Order: sequence, then C-alpha cells, then structure tokens
Amino acid sequence: MSAIQPLVPRETGRRTFHEWLLMPKVQKRLVIFAFGAVPVALLVLFTYYPFIRMVEYSFYNMSYTKVRGFYGFKNYLDVFNKPELFATFRISLYYMAGAIVQITLALYFATVLSFRTKLTSIYKGAMFFPFLVNGIAIGFIFKFFYTRGYVLDTVLQAFGIPLEKLPFWLRDTAINNWSLVATSVWKYMGQNMVLFAGAIMSVDTNLYEAASIDGANKWHQFRYIILPSISTVLTLNVILSITGSLSAFEPPYVITSMGGNGTATYFIKMHQTAHVQNKVGLACAMAVVLVLIISLATVVQKLIFKYAFRDAGTVRSVRGKAVN
Amino acid sequence: MKRILALFLSLLLLSVSFLTLAEDVPTFDSFTLGEDYKDVTASIKVLNHRTDLIESGAITEYIARFNEMYPNITITYEGVTDYAEESVIRLAGSKEWGDIMMLPASLEADEFESFFVPFGNLDEMSEKYNFINNKQFNGVVYGIPSTGNAQGIVYNKAVFEKAGVKELPKTPDEFIAALQLVKDNTDAIPLYTNYAAGWTMGAWDAYLGGSATGSASLMNIDMLHQKSPFSDPGDGTGPYNVYKILYDATAKGLIEEDYTTTDWEGCKAMINNGQIGCLVLGSWAFSQMRDAGPNGADIGYMSFPITVNGKQYASAGADYCYAINKNAPVENQIASMVYVKWLTYESGFTFNEGGIPIDKNGEYPDLYAAFEGIEFVADLPANAEEATLPDELNAESALSLNRGGNEKVQKIIEAAFSGSKGFDEIMDEWNQAWSDAQEALSIEVVE
Repeated sequence: MSAIQPLVPRETGRRTFHEWLLMPKVQKRLVIFAFGAVPVALLVLFTYYPFIRMVEYSFYNMSYTKVRGFYGFKNYLDVFNKPELFATFRISLYYMAGAIVQITLALYFATVLSFRTKLTSIYKGAMFFPFLVNGIAIGFIFKFFYTRGYVLDTVLQAFGIPLEKLPFWLRDTAINNWSLVATSVWKYMGQNMVLFAGAIMSVDTNLYEAASIDGANKWHQFRYIILPSISTVLTLNVILSITGSLSAFEPPYVITSMGGNGTATYFIKMHQTAHVQNKVGLACAMAVVLVLIISLATVVQKLIFKYAFRDAGTVRSVRGKAVN
Repeated sequence: MKRILALFLSLLLLSVSFLTLAEDVPTFDSFTLGEDYKDVTASIKVLNHRTDLIESGAITEYIARFNEMYPNITITYEGVTDYAEESVIRLAGSKEWGDIMMLPASLEADEFESFFVPFGNLDEMSEKYNFINNKQFNGVVYGIPSTGNAQGIVYNKAVFEKAGVKELPKTPDEFIAALQLVKDNTDAIPLYTNYAAGWTMGAWDAYLGGSATGSASLMNIDMLHQKSPFSDPGDGTGPYNVYKILYDATAKGLIEEDYTTTDWEGCKAMINNGQIGCLVLGSWAFSQMRDAGPNGADIGYMSFPITVNGKQYASAGADYCYAINKNAPVENQIASMVYVKWLTYESGFTFNEGGIPIDKNGEYPDLYAAFEGIEFVADLPANAEEATLPDELNAESALSLNRGGNEKVQKIIEAAFSGSKGFDEIMDEWNQAWSDAQEALSIEVVE
C-alpha cells in the first residue's frame, strides 16, 4: 500500500501549501523577506510611526499628559510669529560656517593622508577618535576647557599670552558661539575625513600617473581627478553638515547651560517649549517646520552640486576643458 | 481522605488570601503607624530627585530604619537627575512607572486624580499638617510634602563679619551695600548666582509672595488678575525689587567673574571655605552648605532683605510632595502609604534637611532661630473655579513662575552684565507677556 510519501514539491500540477513553501524560488523570497522584515519593522515602529504621531500632535494644543484642544494650523502660525524662534536660525549660520571649515579640513587631511605619508593610520585614528566620544561627555570636557583659568587659558598662557588679555570664551557674546562651533568641528571632522578617505581610495591610481605624465601637479590632481570622483560623498557630507548645523543641540545644552547667553539654537528652543512650557503641540510643529526647512535646503544644495559637478565622469584636459 | 483534607485546606487558604487582596487603600490618617499593615508584603519603587542623598547612602539608612518597623516592605529608590522634565515623561509614558514619585511641578491640578491616590480630606488634614494645600484638587489632598522650606539667604557669617557688615540687611539697598562691603574688604565673591545650573535661577521666583509682599494670596489669586504685577511699587517691596537685587548686584560686579561656568557642587565647598559671601536659596540649602566642609559653624541663614511696612516676612512652602501611583497593585499602594507616613512622622527627614516639619507638632531645626520675629507666609492655593488658571497663565506667558522658568532670570543677569537692557525694560516685557496671556485666556484684569 502507500508508504509515507516523501514531500517532494512538484513544479506543476496541484500542490499543497506546504509543498509550495518548500519550492526553491519561494524559499529564496522567504529568506529575503525574513531578513528584511525585522529592520523594516523597527524602522516603522521607531521612526515612521512616531513621526506620523508627531505631525498629528502638532495640530493640537497639548501637554504630555493632557490634550487641551484642537488648534489646527495655529501652532504653525505661532512658530513663524515668534521672533526669538527665528533668531535661532541666525545661530545656525555660525554652525554652517563651522561646517565649511570642517569639510575643508576633512578634505585636506583625507587627500594628504591618501598619498602614503608616514604613519597614516595613526593620524587617521587620532583624528577619528573624537567622533566616538559621546556628545554629552564632550560637552562637559569643553565646559572645563573654556572655564576661566582652566585648560585653554593655561595652554595659551604657556605661549606667553597674559591672562588679562584672554577673552572669556563663554561669557563674551561676541565669541561664545564660535567656541561652541569649534567644539562641534572638533567632534565631527574626523568622521568626514574618514568618509572622504574611503572615497578617495576608490580612485584608480593609474589616473594619477597619467596626469603627472601630462604635467599636472598635486593641486590639479585634486581638482580634476579626486574632486569629481568623490562628488557623491561630498554631496552627502554637505547635506549632513547642513542638517547638523540646523539641529545643533548638545554643545549649547551642556556647555552654556541650555543655550544661555545668546547661544540658544532651534533645537534648544524646541526642548524648552516642550518640557518647560508644556506646549508639546507647538514643539511638534517646530519639529515639522525644521524637517521642511532641511528638505528644502537639501534640494537646493543638490541642484547646486549637480550644476557644479555636471562634468564629473567625462574626460577633461588638464586645463579643465571637457574633451568629450 | 488526606487528599480531600489537603484540597479543602488549600481552598480555604485561597479564599482567605483573596479576602486580604480585596483590602482597600487607607487614607493618610486612618491607620496607626507601627501597628497596622504589619503583614503587608510588597516591593515598591520610589522615583526621587535627591540623587545626592541616594549616592551618599543616606537613603539606605532611612530604608534600613523603616525596615525595623516594617520588615516585609522592600524599597528601591531611583534617582533622576533632570527630575522636573523626566518625571512628566514617565507619567505620560506608562502606568507602571513605579509606586511613589515626587509630584511634578508642571502637572496641572485637574490631572492629579487620574494619576495619584488621594491622601485625605483637605480641611481635616490642614489642622494637622503644614503646607498640605500645595497639591490638592477639589478639597482632596494628592501630595504630602517631603519637607517645608522657608525662603531666605544662606550666607557665611565669618565673611560678612570680616567685611564689616554689622547688622543683617533688611532692605534691598542695605543688601547691595553689604555686598559691596564684602567685595571691598574681602576676597570672597559677594553673591554667587549659580547661573549655569539653571534651577538656581528659577528659585528666585519663590520670594515673590511672602518674602516680597507678606501676602499669601499674591501668587495664585491676586496676580492672575493684576494688570502689571512686575512694576515698581515704589516702596522697596514686590516682585520688582526681588529681581532688581539680582540685576543691581550683576551690574555692580558683585557676582562671580564668569557666570556662564558656575559650578553648583563646587560652590557648596566654596561658601564653606569663605570664598563666597552668600547664596540666594531656600532653607534646605543650609544643611548642605554646612556639611560641605570643616567650617560649618560659619554658615548662617538670614531672611530675604525686604521689609513690608516695618515687618519682615518669609515665603514658606512645601518642597516636592510625595504622590502614590493609583495604578499600582493594591498591596503596593498600601505599602507606599505606610512608607510616606513613616517618612513624615518617624524618619526625621525634615529635621536632617533643615526643613520645616510637615507634622505641626514636629521639631524645628536650630537654623530657624534666624527667623525669630519673622512671619512665615505660605501661598494659598487658587480658588476652586480658577484651579488651573495659575498653571495655564504661567505656561501661556512663558514666565513659568515657580515652574522651571530659569531662562527669564538668566536673561536678567545677561542684560545687567552686558548693559544691553535696563531693568525697567525687562519688567515691562514681563508685564506685557503677562497681559498677552491674560487676554489669550480671557481673564478679567482688575486695576
């Protein structure tokens, strides 16, 4: 009589669900789905769902524990009507200027360290290390760094500058934002540099030889070989820097005690609105406005870079004219 | 046969245990500490803002003493550093945040009953306890104060003596003059503002009621309807003069050199060593400053330098209040009620912390000798029909008086230091914010 039939999946004809499951192509799709399901689920749960709820909250007048009423777009009008909120964007300009310095330095170090100077790994490691340190810890370090008569003052005094001539790094409103921006640059420059170094390594070394035979010096090689090849990474880093400048939070929060003395950024104001004034709806509206501004800035910047790098990937003569 | 007996007995035990499970949570005064509820077994969690006491081991000692009376109740403390902000997030986040917490300052009165266990009737409890009206709604008390504070100034007696300050100052002008003497004749920082800590700035709000005007009704009743509460009354009293002291001290250079990098923990040792003249903080600070170094005898406490019609008053009020989670298991709620009662009556917490005892028959620490002849004034709660107005008005105007409004006071120091704004200009801005908020909330403005 019929022994127990082995469950060999049949390619054609009617088959049971179990047999269908065992087919190789179905198995392949199942594996892909299973591996993808967990990260996607986490993404939806911790990013998309909270974001949707946040947009929902921005239309209400509410605190964390109590919904006071439906506000419609009034929160958004409030964001644009309060002058001190928009004054914080002026502070972001400081951070953007710092970002330009940061990317320039990162490009410089990445390029120099790609040409096999001595001890490149040690330099790269040392410059990357600050990125690994937690932002709050860095805040506390720099709080003591900038205190009158402490680290920075002592080092400068060793160079012969008397204490009376040194400014109060955090108290003087003319320079305290630059002090905070310097902290941010110190932290993130290494990360940018490592990203650039990785991209530069993907450039074909034959191009350098060919160019130097044609008479190109190091600057020409950088301008016409390296820069176009890493344009995608450069674009990415600029986008990240803009996002970072607009949402700077840790330096002013920790170093100048929640943005005192004229260092309050947009994020700090958002935090205060939500937690001190208990206006969670308004804070959510502020967050949505920030997302829109960052998206706008990203689009503009991508268009600019598309124009600037329009010749990337074509062959150019040394003098910069496109040959084909 | 044995099996039937065992089954019968276990059923009996089960039904008995269900009976005890159906026990009700008592009110604060309806049971006797040390006799009732000795059989309650529970493990409770306390959210607390005094991370310093938790770290130093003081809390462990209190728990050990409590366990001598109630060995079956296990207590764990969780210290939260950013307490004011985090506590609200925990409340909103889950019903299982723990068992006892310090009632968040920013929670509005009509929210109490959905989160916390009622302690008892306000009128009955007012006769036995101080400051019990701090956290109440509709005549029901939802928070028992952990300690009471009188507002004044902690100062170093030796520094003031060396500077030549003969009598304690009683008016703002006398106070500024005393600070000037400290600056001229000693090396100490006359007034250390603790700008960087944030909450030390919002602490100035506590002086507006009793200390500045002698009025118990100002903060939660009168001010709601006043047109310009921050204007100069012309007689050296009122909220105007409280903040003016800070402005003048900053403008005259009587504070620390670099206010952006003040160090809260470090200043305790500094005042003990005579490097600081005075700190504007509540009476709870006295014991901390005294214990921060070897010169505890030099630490003194004085009343805030404002005299109203020839008499001095001191704002007195509750510190953070204990509140019990309504959504915790019943056993936990009972255990929490027992523990809060023990803390109030038996722990000696208020005495150790230099606070006013909550129990009206409790012991006052020695430092209150400084308040002889000075009347304590506690803020009255808002009228029943205006119960949430103080919270709403403070949130809408963004002034957040006594609700974490540190930023506005920081701006006073910044303006005074840089000379960018006159003091009257700042007070006008606050008046304007107050009026705009009154209009937005449709509050009737008198005078």
